[in-house]
Formats: sequence, structure tokens, C-alpha cells
Amino acid sequence: MLSDYLPILVIFLVALFIAVFVIVASGVLGPQRPTKRKLMPYESGMEPIGSAQRRFPIKFNLVAMIFILFDIEVIFFFPYALVYKRLGVFGLIEIGLFMLILLLGFIYIWKKGALEWD
Amino acid sequence: MPDIQIPSIDLGVSLQLLIIFGGAMVLLLADLFSGEGNKRIVGYIALLFVVGAAAAGVPYWDAPRSTFNGMLVLDNFALTLNWIFLLSTAITILISLEYLPRQGIERGEYYALLLFALGGMMLLAQGTDLIVLFLGLELLSITLYVLAGFAYPRLSSEEAAMKYLLIGAFAAGFLVFGIALLYGATGTSSLAGIANKLGSGLAADDVAFMLAGAALVIIGFGYKISMAPFHMWTPDVYEGSPTPVAAFMSVGTKGAGFAALARLLLVALGSQYATWGLILAILAAVTMVIGNVSAVAQTNVKRMLAYSSIGHAGYILMGVLSAGSPAAANRGIEGFLFYLLAYSLTNLGAFAVLIALEQRGEAAWSLDDFAGLWHRQPFLAIAMALCMFSLAGVPPTAGFWGKFYVFTAAWEAGLQWLAVVGVITSAIAAFFYLRIIVQMFMRDPVREISPSLDRNLMIGVGLAALGVIVFGISPTPVIDLVQGSVLALSR
Amino acid sequence: MNILIMVIFVVLAAFTLAAGVMVVTVKNIIHAALWLIASFFSVAAMYLLMEAEFIAIVQVLVYVGAISILVLFAIMLTRHVTGEGVRQLYKRWWIALIVAAALFGVLIVPTVFNYEWAVQPSGAQISIASTVEIGTAFMREYLLPFEVASVLLLVALIGAIVIAFEERSTRRRVLTLAEEVEQRRQRNESLRLAPTTHASETSE
Repeated sequence: MLSDYLPILVIFLVALFIAVFVIVASGVLGPQRPTKRKLMPYESGMEPIGSAQRRFPIKFNLVAMIFILFDIEVIFFFPYALVYKRLGVFGLIEIGLFMLILLLGFIYIWKKGALEWD
Repeated sequence: MPDIQIPSIDLGVSLQLLIIFGGAMVLLLADLFSGEGNKRIVGYIALLFVVGAAAAGVPYWDAPRSTFNGMLVLDNFALTLNWIFLLSTAITILISLEYLPRQGIERGEYYALLLFALGGMMLLAQGTDLIVLFLGLELLSITLYVLAGFAYPRLSSEEAAMKYLLIGAFAAGFLVFGIALLYGATGTSSLAGIANKLGSGLAADDVAFMLAGAALVIIGFGYKISMAPFHMWTPDVYEGSPTPVAAFMSVGTKGAGFAALARLLLVALGSQYATWGLILAILAAVTMVIGNVSAVAQTNVKRMLAYSSIGHAGYILMGVLSAGSPAAANRGIEGFLFYLLAYSLTNLGAFAVLIALEQRGEAAWSLDDFAGLWHRQPFLAIAMALCMFSLAGVPPTAGFWGKFYVFTAAWEAGLQWLAVVGVITSAIAAFFYLRIIVQMFMRDPVREISPSLDRNLMIGVGLAALGVIVFGISPTPVIDLVQGSVLALSR
Repeated sequence: MNILIMVIFVVLAAFTLAAGVMVVTVKNIIHAALWLIASFFSVAAMYLLMEAEFIAIVQVLVYVGAISILVLFAIMLTRHVTGEGVRQLYKRWWIALIVAAALFGVLIVPTVFNYEWAVQPSGAQISIASTVEIGTAFMREYLLPFEVASVLLLVALIGAIVIAFEERSTRRRVLTLAEEVEQRRQRNESLRLAPTTHASETSE
């Protein structure tokens, strides 16, 4: 059971190793001749303007909130999906009701225009 | 693989809930597809659903039943509470109908959110499982966070929403932790199951968990009912919220919180009365003292009502905790329900009068603004006077009977000192309630205020005031109702 | 196998605690949020270690995936993210310490001492609710909470819109980077043109 997840652990360790290795190795092996221009943050060749940490519009936050809510909705589907055959029509009705209620929420945000970016 | 047996579900138990939740969703659609500028129609539809749900409960009187694996019951206790909540919501809708457009915050979601909150309250009254109680409380709270901030561009409204959210989230944390500990100690989340487990005895270290869990759950509910050490948020939140929302909060959250707390204490933890009885009695006394004494110093009537609502939480708590004692089991529940009904009507009436005095962009809530109200608006003055008499507990108003019931309940439960504290604090409270009456009838107006009294608001104020006086003069129907609603206790 | 699990557990527990400490001690709150994500993730791994697969997946999808995004956006909504000169220690921190220690003492310590660690669980398989069982439980025992949860989500959705969504007509616009640069350029120019007079702030 738990051993099913062993590959994930291995991948994790490999990823960790590569990341650490690359950083350490390039620090140790690479020649270091820094100039002011080289140390500038890379912004596609443009000269960076201002700080990267700016205030974000609240739109992003709203989208994140909506995302969380539908994310949680999906979470509820997972266990149902594993047993839907055995639950038969009754399960279909229940999950349908569940979805219907959230579909209403979807219609609501759509109609309000919260999904339009600008 | 075999099909899974599906338990049969008795939809009748959840009929009222279905009507309210279904109604809220219909309102949401009605809001989306109705024109701008006139959302009153949404409010009227909401009223229709509330009345329908109240009527739908009638056949279930004296026919207690439960469903969803005993997670939801509909006994007389729950039914009476549901009716009280429905009545409160109906009055809230009436007093909001003209208030929202006048304040420029009319949005159709308001009514849908009100119904969702009502559904949460009913879940709290009907739920017999900690998980359901938690969901009901969250449903109620989340809705109220939004409603508190409904007057969005007004800073005080935003502040109220923010404070309520932070405190509420904190309280929810206590509640969930408590539920987890109770579940860990007893292995079940059902109230009856916990009672059974406690009856058959717990292991020594489980007792510690059970007690800690019970304490945390009581703290969690204590925030919602603004019990004494957890009451700090109340004045600021009530003052900042839109007035109808403050009215709804002061009766709704409190009533629902008490409903769930009563069921939890009496059904699940009834056998532990010796432990929680005295602690809650002390907290009730502190709540009454703090609420009423702080209210004396207020010159802002809205804040005064907020503090007085803290005091009233103490009186209601007195009824609930008295019910834990075998000597006053029935009396306590009767007192709780009667007091809740009287308090709900009275407080809604008082807040409705405040709404009439509230102009756009300017609130006329100081004591001076009430001066001479009798000469300008006799109807409002009489209604306000009735509400103040009822809050003070002067006969012949409903508030008097409520106080009478809870005081005798405490007396019978052997908590004579608590009853005495109650009487003394009532006397203190009478000072600031009567002060308003004196202002209204015996002073001349200080500045010119033209109260806006529309038909719906008039109906709302009238309903509340009428209830206060009618139930005060002939309390028999209410007494019959609450006597029939005594909670079946498991001891 | 057992010793491997033990090692993994100790590493995870240490990492979770360390990440938690970093969350409250780092000055830059964006870094604090990133550490929070790290601790969420290792908690997910701990759930997995306890064979609570479903909870672990929920932890990753909801906390690591969604909540952390929201936290980051919420931080970026505010000014002053670097948090220099912010006091991190509350003046009466020792009260909190005492309360926390007392809670720990009351809740955890008795269990640690009373639990019979030496006794191995009897040979019978300890039943752990699998995801399948959770699915059936949702449709049977917990049908009511399941449906109420959807209502709760709906209310949260409405609340999010009512609170955070502004109709296009009333929206307060945040300037794009290009506009901000243009504004700054104009301001600099006006400064250069009229160095004596107080540079009038270009209206936003």
C-alpha cells in the first residue's frame, strides 16, 4: 500500500539531488567575473523598471477564491467516482443535487461578469 | 460488487430546510434575471418562502422524528425554534425592504443570503450531530460576515465585517478543536452517542479529553452568543453593520447559538451538569453584569442595544443552564424558549425604530435624537416605548414573562444567587431603557429629524410591538407552545 | 521497511516543525508564505505515511494547490511585503508561551504517559477508512453534511463575489506597469522643467 508511493519519494530525492547539485556545482566550477550588468535581474533583455513586488489587482484574488471553491467541489467527487457503480441511481441523484447547487453558483458568477477579465 | 444499501430518508424532517434552501437558490436566480434598481420583488419572494416554510412545519407538531442516520431531528423543541427564527427573518426582511434602497446598498443577494443564514440557524436547531452543528454554524457565520460588510463603501461596515470575520474564524477554531477532542474521547460525533458513551463510563484519560473538548465547544458557541469573556466584538460589529443586519444578528445568531448549545449541553453532556453547571452560572452572572453595566454609559442607542443584547445573552443562558438541573429541567427549557421569543420580537422592534431614524449618510442614534419623538411620530414612540419596557422586563409585556420564567427556573435549579443577580442587573438595565422613554415623551426635540416611515417598516415595527404587548397581556398561547416543546432529555 | 518508515517520519516531522518556525520568524511575508507551503506539503506526506491517502490528496490539492495561491495573492494585494522594521515578537509573548505549554501539558502529556507503547497492535488488521469507504460514507451516514457542504460552498462563492467583485463601472483601477512607467516619466519631466515650483503630482 504505502510502497505504491515509493516512486514518488524516489523522484523527490532525485529532484532534490539535481537541484542541489546544479546549484553547488555551478558555484564551484564556473568562473565568476561579475559585472553590474550581469547581476541585473533578467527581464527578457529589457532594463528592469521598479520593484518586482507590486500590488496586484483584486481580480487575481477573486479568481483564486473561485478556484478554491471549485477545487473543493472536485475533491468531493473523488470518493464518489470510486463507488459510483455500486451507488446506482441514488448516488447519481445525490451527486447531481450537489453539482446542481454548485452549478447555480457558476451561473451566478458568470452572469455577474466575474469571469470576464476586463 | 454488491450494490450499497441506501438508508431510507424521511424528507418531511428536512422539509422546512428544503424550502428555505431551495428558496434561497430561487432568489439568487430571481436576482440575476430581475431588472436593476428594483430588487424589492426579490424581498417579497423571500417573504413568501419564509411564510411557506412556517406553514410547512405545522403538520409535524407533536410528531417527533429523525432522519439522515439521526443527524437531523424535528421535535417540538426544534420546531418552536424554527418558528421563532422564521418570524425573526420575516420581520428582518420587512424592515430591510426600504432601508436598502434608501442607503443605496440594494442588491438582490441580500435576501438570498438572509435565507441561507436562516437555513443555517434551522440546521443548528435541528442538528443532533456535531458535524451538522458545525456546518450550520459555519453557514450562518459566513453569511453574516458578508452581510455585516454589505454597506461596503462605508468604512464602519467594512470594519464590522473584518472584526466579525477574524473573531468568528477564531471561534470556529475553538469549536473544531473541541469537536475533535470530543470525538476522540467518545468515538462518535452524534449527541445521543456521546450521551450513551458518557453513561457507560469513560477511561480516566478520556475524561480529560472529553472535558477539554466540551470546554472548547462551549467557548466556540460562547463567541456566537456573546457570552461574557467572549463578548468584546459585539458592540463594534453591531454598530458598523447595516442596521437590519445588526437586528438579525442580535436575535438570529444568538438564538441559533443557544439552540445548539442547549441541545449539546442537555442531550450530550447532561450527565456532566455537576461540572459545567456552576461554571456557566458564573459566566451567565458575569455576562449580565458586564452587558448591563456597560450599557448604562452609552449615549449611542445602537451601541446601547448591543451592550444590552450581551446582558440578555446572560438571561437566556440562565434558562439554558437551569434546564441541566433535574429540578428545573422543563422550566429551564420553557424559560429559554419564551425568553428567546420575547427578546427576538423586542429587539427587532427596537432596531426597526432605529432604522426609521436613520437617514442616508447620517445616523440619528444618539439619545438626543430620540427627544420629543412622541410629538413627531407617536407611532414610533409608542412602539419604542413598548420595546424598552419589554427589554426592561416591565409587565405587561412579553419581556416580563420571559424574565419571570428564567428567574423561577434558576430559583428551582437551586441557583438562587443567580436569580438575585438577574433581578439586580435588570434593575440597573431599567435605568437606561427608561431613559429613552423619558427622552421620547418628556423632552422637546433637540434637532430636526424627519423619520422615514414607509409601509413595510411600519408593518415590521407594528408586528414586533404587537407581539410584545399581546404576548405580554395574554401569554397563554406562548406558554402552551413552550410547554409542549420541552426537550426530551437523556440522563 | 519499518525502520525506513521511522526515518522518513523523523525527517518529515523535523522538516514540518522547522518550516513552521520559519513561517513565523522570517521577515519577508512572501518567504513566510513559501515556507508555509513547504510545511503543508510535508504534512501531506505525513498523512500518506499514516495511510490516509484521501486526506493526503486533499491536503495537496486544496492547501498546497489552492490555499497557498490565495495566500500569495492576498499578500501581493497589500503594500509593504518585505516587512522591514516590523516587530515580530508580541510584547507579552510569555503569556502565550505559558498558555501553549499548559495546553500541551494537559492534552498531550497524559496521553504520552498513559499509552501503552510497548504493546503491539494485535494481529488483526487495523481498519483504515479507504477512499472507497469515504465515498460510501458520503452517500450514507454523512449524506446530510455532504449536501450541506455544497450549500456552504455556494454561500462562500456568493460571499466572495459580493465582497470582492466590483462592477466594472465602479471599479477602482490599478495601473498597469506601462502606465505607471509613463506616469513616472511625466513626473520626472515636470520636475526637470520646473525645479523651483513644487512638482504637482500628476493625478492618478
